Amino acid sequence: MANAEPFADRATRMLRSAPLAAVLVLYTLYSALPFAWIATMSVRTTSEISANHYAWPTVWHWEKYRAAWFDSNFGTYFWNSTLVVVAAVAVVTVLGAAAAHCLARYRFRGNRLVYFILFSSIIFPPQIILISLFQVMAGYGLYNSRLGLTLVYIGLQLPLTVYLLEGFFARIPQDLFDAAKIDGYGDFEIFVRIVLPVGMPAIATTVILNFIQLWNEFLFAVVLVNDPGLSTLPIGIRRFMGDYFQDTGMIATGMMIAVLPVIVVYAFFSEKLIQGMTAGAVK
Amino acid sequence: MKGVDTRTAAWPTLMVFLLPALAVYAAFTAYPVFRTFYNSFFNIADLDTARYVGLDHFRALAGDSTFRASVVNTMIWSFVAPIIDVGTGLLLALCLYAGVPFARFFRVAWFTPVLLSYVVVGIMWLWIYNYDWGVVNATLRATGLGALAHSWLGDTHTALAALMVTHAWKWAGFNMVVCLAAMHSLPSEVLEAAELDNCGWAAKLFHVVIPLLRPTLLNLYILAFIGKMKVFDLVFIMTDGGPLWATETVSTYVYKRAFNWNTFDLGYPSAIAVLWFLVVIAFVALLTWLFRQKDRLEF
Amino acid sequence: MFKSAPSARLPALAVMAALSSPAFAEQTVTMWSHWPDEVAKRTFVEERVKDFEGANKECKVKLQFIQKADLYTQAKTSVRTGQAPDIFWLEPDEIAFAQNGYLEPLDGIVNMANLEDFAKRSWTYNGKVYGLPVEAYTVELYYNRELLKKAGVALPASMQLDQAGFTEMVKKAVAAGITPFATGVSDRPYPGAYFLQEMLLRKLGPDDYKALLTGQLSFKDPRVADVMTWVKQLVDAGAYSKSFSTLKLGESHYYFHTNPGALMFPIASWYTGRAFVPPDKGGQPKDFPLGIMQYPAPTGAKCPECKTLAVGGSYVMYSRGKNKECAGKLLNSMATVENGNKWMQGVLLQTGVRTDPAKIQSIYAPYFRELQERNAQAKYFIGTPLHYMAGKCADAFSQVLNRAFPSGQMSVGDAAGQMDAACKA
Repeated sequence: MANAEPFADRATRMLRSAPLAAVLVLYTLYSALPFAWIATMSVRTTSEISANHYAWPTVWHWEKYRAAWFDSNFGTYFWNSTLVVVAAVAVVTVLGAAAAHCLARYRFRGNRLVYFILFSSIIFPPQIILISLFQVMAGYGLYNSRLGLTLVYIGLQLPLTVYLLEGFFARIPQDLFDAAKIDGYGDFEIFVRIVLPVGMPAIATTVILNFIQLWNEFLFAVVLVNDPGLSTLPIGIRRFMGDYFQDTGMIATGMMIAVLPVIVVYAFFSEKLIQGMTAGAVK
Repeated sequence: MKGVDTRTAAWPTLMVFLLPALAVYAAFTAYPVFRTFYNSFFNIADLDTARYVGLDHFRALAGDSTFRASVVNTMIWSFVAPIIDVGTGLLLALCLYAGVPFARFFRVAWFTPVLLSYVVVGIMWLWIYNYDWGVVNATLRATGLGALAHSWLGDTHTALAALMVTHAWKWAGFNMVVCLAAMHSLPSEVLEAAELDNCGWAAKLFHVVIPLLRPTLLNLYILAFIGKMKVFDLVFIMTDGGPLWATETVSTYVYKRAFNWNTFDLGYPSAIAVLWFLVVIAFVALLTWLFRQKDRLEF
Repeated sequence: MFKSAPSARLPALAVMAALSSPAFAEQTVTMWSHWPDEVAKRTFVEERVKDFEGANKECKVKLQFIQKADLYTQAKTSVRTGQAPDIFWLEPDEIAFAQNGYLEPLDGIVNMANLEDFAKRSWTYNGKVYGLPVEAYTVELYYNRELLKKAGVALPASMQLDQAGFTEMVKKAVAAGITPFATGVSDRPYPGAYFLQEMLLRKLGPDDYKALLTGQLSFKDPRVADVMTWVKQLVDAGAYSKSFSTLKLGESHYYFHTNPGALMFPIASWYTGRAFVPPDKGGQPKDFPLGIMQYPAPTGAKCPECKTLAVGGSYVMYSRGKNKECAGKLLNSMATVENGNKWMQGVLLQTGVRTDPAKIQSIYAPYFRELQERNAQAKYFIGTPLHYMAGKCADAFSQVLNRAFPSGQMSVGDAAGQMDAACKA
């Protein structure tokens, strides 16, 4: 939205509506202050925090990040999260894109049925697969392993990925495909050389969406993994809170470690992230 | 164009594209769903031995007061909370649509909570609600309203509402962005004609904006509704269903019965999951159908 | 109480020892323990493991400390998959693990002669013993001597008030701006019920109290109603803190001894685990005027000298573990009178392992003497309510008697009705 109105005019107009300005400022504080509060606590020691929960850090205890990373295992949790989530997102993107392309481009019997089955599982409550997945994973020796969790994550995000990519791939102009076919491209070349490059913005969107959702996933991670050495970040933070609930400062540091990657990416790619996260709702 | 048909392909080709995804779907969604249905007729205290009990679990569910409480709570949450989420989102979008300076900054800032995990949000709000030093009570005391200071998560009357507020804090930005996108895609003269440069013009809001955005708002409502029917993480971290089952949801109850109680039985929680699965499907179908009656909303 | 060397006592062990020649493959035992935030207990366990590793080169131990709630969830999930740790921590209210065949009986693995009888009984199912009862405790009523003075109350020589006297003390404390009880229940299913349960035990006597816990006696029994009505009066008078529902167990300790401070703390004798550590680690302040009084005797008490004695944290062995041999040796190595004494001396807490209290020496010896004095005349009832309850009844106990009733959110009639609905046989 390019607004040509000069800045000064807008500012004047805004000043006219003081209630609006108040709402803007208040809501910004409301959504940002809790986060800022945690950020200040993350560089204060617990005894400093107990003395005053809202004080500005006088001494910046950056070493707490080091301590959380090495002594409190957050480094391990971080590594586990990265490994599981990156692998799952990579695989689900490839599988999902292939299936979405197939469903969007080719006419065959049962096409819409397959699409409907995949798509409708988006609304399934997770409990319907939680307990039986636990049994299945135990049966195949995949319980308590990062590989098992990765596979489950691929399955979890697949329907949404197919749904979003199908919608986008279906809008790629048919002419492109006809021309490619005339040039002698085979079906797989079309997928690799036409669909993937043209669909890259949509693929990036689903990658972001899947990444954030899995990075924050909790329920399956808590049921399917029990070894503290294999836990992902959300589980690690919660465990740390259980073990050392009085250590408010260190919990805050751990929370910041979990949040920082997301925030850093957000700072650079905020539009893309917003687009990714809302992709399911705006069609 | 003779011989060029990019709309058909041989079955083997189709299968190469489709089969891996279908295999994953079959193994990690379809099969577990059927397995859960199957489980619900058994008593499974151990993975290797299951005892057939027929419909016993479903009969027991009828008399399970905790299950009843969890259904009521989840329903309240599913119907009420989306109104808060979507309503806040809409109002925020209206503010930004009025063309305020730094609109982009506000949009980015307000969206941030959407990116945080429930664990982080949950712990953050546990502290915010803390009786002795939490932000809420500290603010009340500082403004001379100390008498209103309260154990927000410890009181059966306020715990569920407190969780809903937290939930809305996380999701309002999401709804704001979607509403804003929908407003920008409307023919601009319609909204400009309404001269919306203020947040509080109730009449215009209800007579112009809401009708125009109706499809988007309903879509958001259904999305939020589905999300709330599944709600688990936040409850698990903040209240674990307490006090006195006041925040128990179906999801937390299933989890507790399967993995927290010392009954070890996986059959009964499977029965709850099955019943709830059917309820969710029925409600989503019903809502979609109801809303479609007027708008042919594509969902 | 000392027994001579464990030579001929356990043939099974001798066989095991013979098998584990140097040629035998090295085993790594995984072990999960609660007590990540309780330094003394943690140190005790770490030292026992170290001693054991030193004496048994073929066994390595991977020891992890996990908070109880998470440990239980993870144990309950993983025992069904064959991937639970070889040894893990449980309390006897989780005897269901044994009933479902997930635990290895310890008879023949651990020297039973070194365990106290009451502790063995707590872990017995079908005639076999399933847990190594490292921790045992009585339910005590700690108080702050100075705050008691400040509230203007003096205790009788018996250290036991009657119902009226106790009520008055609570009211005086509230009037002086002092929170009477420091309890917090946010992460535990039982501490909120400690006071009520001890009152019920004294009022009903052991037999009827047991009948109540096992669903044979109604919570609507007039004697039960009397006690609950009285406790409800105390609750309404402000006996528990406002943050009762959201305070965690560890935080409630801090609430009692440091900030803001409370008159009394009805808690088990494992109070020491979190309190007797340096203040910067969350322990009670140096020179904290800690006292132990008797729980009051409710009017018409059948057994005013009754008291709960229970087995707490214990180590159990997973029946499908792959390193049973080393795991068994580790457990047996912990079950000695010498180690029982080390526990008592280090943690200042009772144990289910046999001990020789005469040998206890510690800077906290006066505390330990006081604890023993309070227990000198006691008639013990073995086990806490949760040791007798399961499933729905246990859940109701946790939600109703532990949380809602003491926080004043439920009437006596409602609470009794809900308990009967969930527990009545």
